[in-house]
Amino acid sequence: MDVLAGLSQGFAVALDPVNLLYCFVGVFIGTLVGVLPGIGPISAMSLLLPVTLSGTPESGIIMMAGIYYGSMYGGSTTAVLVNIPGEAASVVTCLDGHEMAKQGRAGTALGVSALGSFVAGTFAIIALMLVAPLLARVAVAFGPPEYFSLVALGLTVLSFLTQGSMAKALLMAGLGVVIGLVGLDQINAMPRLTFDRLELIDGIGLVPVVMGLFGVAEILNNIEQHVRREVVQTKVGNLWPGRADLKASAWPVGRGTVLGFLLGVLPGGGAVIASFASYAIEKKFSRTPERFGKGAIEGVAGPEAANNAAAGGAFIPLMTLGIPPNVIMALLLGAFVVHGLQPGPLMITQNPGIFWGVVASMYVGNVMLLVLNLPLIGMWVQVLRVPYKILFPLILMFCIVGVFASGNAVFDVFVMIAFGALGYLMRKFGYEAAPLVLAFVLGPMLENNLRKSLILSEGSFDVFVSRPISLACLAIAAALLIAPLLPALRRKREKVALDVTE
Amino acid sequence: MVRRAEFWSGLFWLAVGSFVCWQALELGLGALREPGSGFVFFWTGLMICAFALCVAIGGIRGRGPMLGDLWRATRWRNVLLVIVALVAYAFLFERLGFVVCSVALLLFLMIFVDPVPLRLAIPIALIAGVGIWYVLEKVLLVQLPKGSWLEDLPLF
Repeated sequence: MDVLAGLSQGFAVALDPVNLLYCFVGVFIGTLVGVLPGIGPISAMSLLLPVTLSGTPESGIIMMAGIYYGSMYGGSTTAVLVNIPGEAASVVTCLDGHEMAKQGRAGTALGVSALGSFVAGTFAIIALMLVAPLLARVAVAFGPPEYFSLVALGLTVLSFLTQGSMAKALLMAGLGVVIGLVGLDQINAMPRLTFDRLELIDGIGLVPVVMGLFGVAEILNNIEQHVRREVVQTKVGNLWPGRADLKASAWPVGRGTVLGFLLGVLPGGGAVIASFASYAIEKKFSRTPERFGKGAIEGVAGPEAANNAAAGGAFIPLMTLGIPPNVIMALLLGAFVVHGLQPGPLMITQNPGIFWGVVASMYVGNVMLLVLNLPLIGMWVQVLRVPYKILFPLILMFCIVGVFASGNAVFDVFVMIAFGALGYLMRKFGYEAAPLVLAFVLGPMLENNLRKSLILSEGSFDVFVSRPISLACLAIAAALLIAPLLPALRRKREKVALDVTE
Repeated sequence: MVRRAEFWSGLFWLAVGSFVCWQALELGLGALREPGSGFVFFWTGLMICAFALCVAIGGIRGRGPMLGDLWRATRWRNVLLVIVALVAYAFLFERLGFVVCSVALLLFLMIFVDPVPLRLAIPIALIAGVGIWYVLEKVLLVQLPKGSWLEDLPLF
């Protein structure tokens, strides 16, 4: 009953004309950045974070959420037509989606992808709606030790699942914590690593860091290479899949949805891992695995459903625990914070309008995406024809504008440039930016809860192992840290990383 | 060994980790009952040092690519040009104002970094520069620098 009452309140918020407009703008921009290689939801959300300040908190959060799940839809278009994933979660879609396009079945691939995304997105919203209030009730009992252990687990999982060296990923997480703690000490107001610069007293802003590491660094990497894009066909053809295609896609969509949702909820998990896992499962389930990579529709349906379900699932830890499970949710947390809101166990009871409004807007946004994307695919194909040499100066311009507008300070532009150069070098040397950004956001939470726990327990570390939830989180984190030291497990992890890279 | 990228990146992060530890000691570690401002910094710095050592040792053992290979057959000059242009933009942003700086940056990128025909570059730079200024300043009411060097000119 609570859920129904909440949902009706949410629809009242989501169907407000202004919020509908924000939702539309969010899903439209999301699809656009999903389509365009070289700019993803992270850059777009950082760019538009300052813009949300001009509206109500509901409107801002609805738009930011729309960008996220909209980009999941859009990413598949580029993957199918150009063989370049618009965003990371669509990498797998390239394998069979582009092959289908080459066989003249681009319309079917795009249609299945849009329908699968819709089904998975809707499932994730229903699950979010049912699970979040229950988890929030449990999370009220969480104290500083549980929060510390959960954050530590999230950072470890993310480092474990990143490609390549785990030592490098953990190093980046450590660096992220350090950068996140720059500024005044929250407990005794002592300035830390500020080097007598007034601009650093409040710490380093999230937007310049993210725009630098993801926006500018991506551009620097792209302009260094000779990028050539070829759209396979001008005519996309019939988008509605035939009966045989729908039948072949039904189970992959179902499996991808459940798997994606579960992986999305996990700290450190997310859409990218979900799509890869779904592809692997579909290949294993198939009686004809040799078709995979040569245009198998199951290889499009499963991963597309999985990445959209993961996008929805990722809202659960953020909304109920206040812990973002991935970088995009960290940005959404930033959007909550700039509006003076703190996601967590009390969010649903204290700000029901915002929670249920966002949930309801996701239903509306999913319908918008389905209605918008199928007829607009031709337009997205035209967008893809804009040469990168014209696109990148404009994207760079938007990065600068977004960063400046977020704090009205030129210092932030310098910070973005510095992080852009750092991000470029990090990619060159094989360091991932995601653990750094997540640790940057979670660093203050980690420190605060660690220090509070130690003060409460009078310096005893027993407090972390005497509470079951905290103990479970730390045990899993420790197991993940030890895993790469065991040769068999290390080989398995490296194989997963290799599959992802390939 | 000294030509391995892993070795040099490991050494760099080792220096960063050591710096963090040193700063943490300056801030004060406090006691376990009451951890000080440098407590988390110190342990995180140590963690960075430990992982940096792992990376550097990997380089010594011959893991990873050679330093020179990272930039082989790439257009690294473009990267340098963009970074220099961005730094110059940030320095001149408040002095020359948003519109002049943005149009100049866009033109520079479209002429010198990845060339676009001038008949395209000029209108794109002008429309984008002025268009973004209009949306931000007039629609979203974001205050953009007008340019301290140009304030005295009659046009401004």
